[in-house]
Amino acid sequence: MKLKDAKKTSFPWFGMDIGGTLVKLVYFEPVDVTAEEEQEEVECLKSIRKYLTSNVAYGSTGIRDTHLELKGLTVHGRRGNLHFIRFPTHDLPTFIQMGRDKNFSTLHTVLCATGGGAYKFEEEFRTIGNLQLHKLDELDCLVKGLLYIDSPSFNGQAECYYFENALDPERCRKMPYNLQDPYPLLVVNIGSGVSILAVYSKDNYKRVAGTSLGGGTFLGLCGLLTGCESFDEALELASKGDSTHADKLVRDIYGGDYERFDLPGWAVASSFGNMIYKEKREAVTKEDLARATLVTITNNIGWIAKMSAVNEKINRVVFVGNFLRVNTLSMKLLAYALDYWSQSQTKALFLEHEGYFGAVGALLGLLNFT
Amino acid sequence: MELNGCHCEDEGGTEADDGETRQQTPGKGRAGDPRIDGGIEGGAAGPMEQGEPSERRARHTADSPRKSRPPFPWFGMDIGGTLVKLVYFEPKDITAEEEQEEVENLKSIRKYLTSNVAYGSTGIRDVHLELKDLTLCGRTGNLHFIRFPTQDLPAFLQMGRDKHFSSLHTALCATGGGAYKFEADFRMMADLQLLKLDELDCLIRGVLYIDSVNSSGPSECYYFENPTDPVHCIVKPYRLENPYPLLLVNIGSGVSILAVHSKDNFKRVTGTSLGGGTFLGLCCLLTGCSTFEEALEMASRGESTRVDKLVRDIYGGDYERFGLPGWIVASSFGNMMCKEKRESVSKEDLARATLVTITNNIGSITRMCALNENIERVVFVGNFLRVNTLSMKLLAYSMEYWSAGRLKALFLQHEV
Repeated sequence: MKLKDAKKTSFPWFGMDIGGTLVKLVYFEPVDVTAEEEQEEVECLKSIRKYLTSNVAYGSTGIRDTHLELKGLTVHGRRGNLHFIRFPTHDLPTFIQMGRDKNFSTLHTVLCATGGGAYKFEEEFRTIGNLQLHKLDELDCLVKGLLYIDSPSFNGQAECYYFENALDPERCRKMPYNLQDPYPLLVVNIGSGVSILAVYSKDNYKRVAGTSLGGGTFLGLCGLLTGCESFDEALELASKGDSTHADKLVRDIYGGDYERFDLPGWAVASSFGNMIYKEKREAVTKEDLARATLVTITNNIGWIAKMSAVNEKINRVVFVGNFLRVNTLSMKLLAYALDYWSQSQTKALFLEHEGYFGAVGALLGLLNFT
Repeated sequence: MELNGCHCEDEGGTEADDGETRQQTPGKGRAGDPRIDGGIEGGAAGPMEQGEPSERRARHTADSPRKSRPPFPWFGMDIGGTLVKLVYFEPKDITAEEEQEEVENLKSIRKYLTSNVAYGSTGIRDVHLELKDLTLCGRTGNLHFIRFPTQDLPAFLQMGRDKHFSSLHTALCATGGGAYKFEADFRMMADLQLLKLDELDCLIRGVLYIDSVNSSGPSECYYFENPTDPVHCIVKPYRLENPYPLLLVNIGSGVSILAVHSKDNFKRVTGTSLGGGTFLGLCCLLTGCSTFEEALEMASRGESTRVDKLVRDIYGGDYERFGLPGWIVASSFGNMMCKEKRESVSKEDLARATLVTITNNIGSITRMCALNENIERVVFVGNFLRVNTLSMKLLAYSMEYWSAGRLKALFLQHEV
């Protein structure tokens, strides 16, 4: 689909990433709108802008992450704020309906979308919302979005950070990390599932591995084991549990360390391994189960990330994706595990905008059209 | 590692350099090989590997080499996180004189073990795995394979005490974590000194040994051809003659992955805590089952795609760009985030999904190791695979599929 105007992409500027669980939306709100422009502005465009920027919640499940807003950004010659919005993919029909009600399609804009849902829901966008999606690959978008976001800097702060003394509650600190010279970089995207990419340059990356044990597994298992209904609830439970009640540790089998192969007694030998005993099943709490699920999934991802890093000979691993949203526990576990098992050879990095890079990449895809 | 004190004069205190083939069934011995006459397999202080790599077999041995062979009974014990694996050598060539001299409790132990197939309420002898007419260290007899839950070890110790096992003055060779954890219990409750051996050393020797003891019957080592085709899937023998290098994946409560470059040169590459214990633990929590067999039974009747979120659930089809077909699992248990779906799946579906998730994860990690170590043959062992053809086929298939045929998944009879 070609753009009609080679010089200027018409507003609104959106980037959309329709994932397995969440839709991530970035919206660029121009703040340098001239009086003349405002005059010409179509009513529905104005109403869309108002609706998005004056609310922080949309419907019952849509949320704007205001703490992530990038203010005073210059994008493609315009100045404005970049907003970050998310809602469950489950509620996409409602979103499409809203687009229809607001006559979004009359704005004649291309809607750039990435993620699996860009393919899966393409038809619905057309038939219900009368919108043509311009589909972009999710990993292309992820890489471009990631590399882009680090550059404007996050309102003066570093976008990229790591944890020093990850598992020491007293001394653990979040430290900024300069990602100016990022290559080569291993990117571990933890969404519903996990993709691992080795990025060698802006245009040269490959998907080196993946695992189906991701954020969706954590939430799905938690839902089954504890009855919780949301990600935030699951994390809440996990924060209060003790996974060692559910897991079988090396010391449970050896009575101490397994010295021969340097496995300390506190290492988990068998996740959920204690749950084969009826008495232990009866003694364990929902919180313990939630914690064990979190720890199991997180450590498994950490292992796979570490092995990928070794295979690819890359020593910087950046973890992104909404599994890590408000999930400091997992971030610290990943930081610690990577540090410990690699003897500090590999560094775990994190980014403030976590799960939004695909959407940012889609937005860039829209703008780079010209 | 020194040799145990059996008949291997030419080795003295060093490792035999060709660990594989010493045990031959009568009539198949190699002429001219002085070590053939029941020479120890694989040297090392004790472990005589066994086909059941998860059953490390340690021969009864005195510590110093060059003694005559150790007195009966000959046991090897592997005390794992979930199961105790015991191998017992029942001599069949007992002379009248020997029988005369035999101590009463030794006789009673032999009778008890060989005339039962179940012990107490949880002990089981896997009769179908029995290796008959084996020649071991100059004696001929049958090798028996027995297992019981580690949880019942106290009962076992009590029994040993009741039968005055300690008066037989034998060392008891044991491996596995429990050899360390329960060492004091063995001493205090049964007055027995354990000779502890490393579980992975034993595992390696066991695997290398078993393929050489090719008693009459099916080949020890095998693979699956057409693993996911129910009609055309067949088991085919595989001769593990030149085994190195080999990747050994031991799936017990947890998983250890070893890269074996020669009989004496191996390393533990990595492991994962998502193993057999995870499968059983999660199954018990999710379905209310209480045994491994029950869990497998349920899994055999379930549909994991109701529980898992597949690529096609996200993409509406294949994710072509990266070669991910629509039927691949994108997010294990991913459909369970949705309440209505949680309410509509069955216990069988959940059991199946748990099996598939754990198995595929092991497959995935194994592939990455194989790649990293540059090894193309992978042998899967461990009691997670016992009567678990579903997992074996899944592993076989996934190895082949994701490596475009480069990697081969192998299995052993005695792991099961």
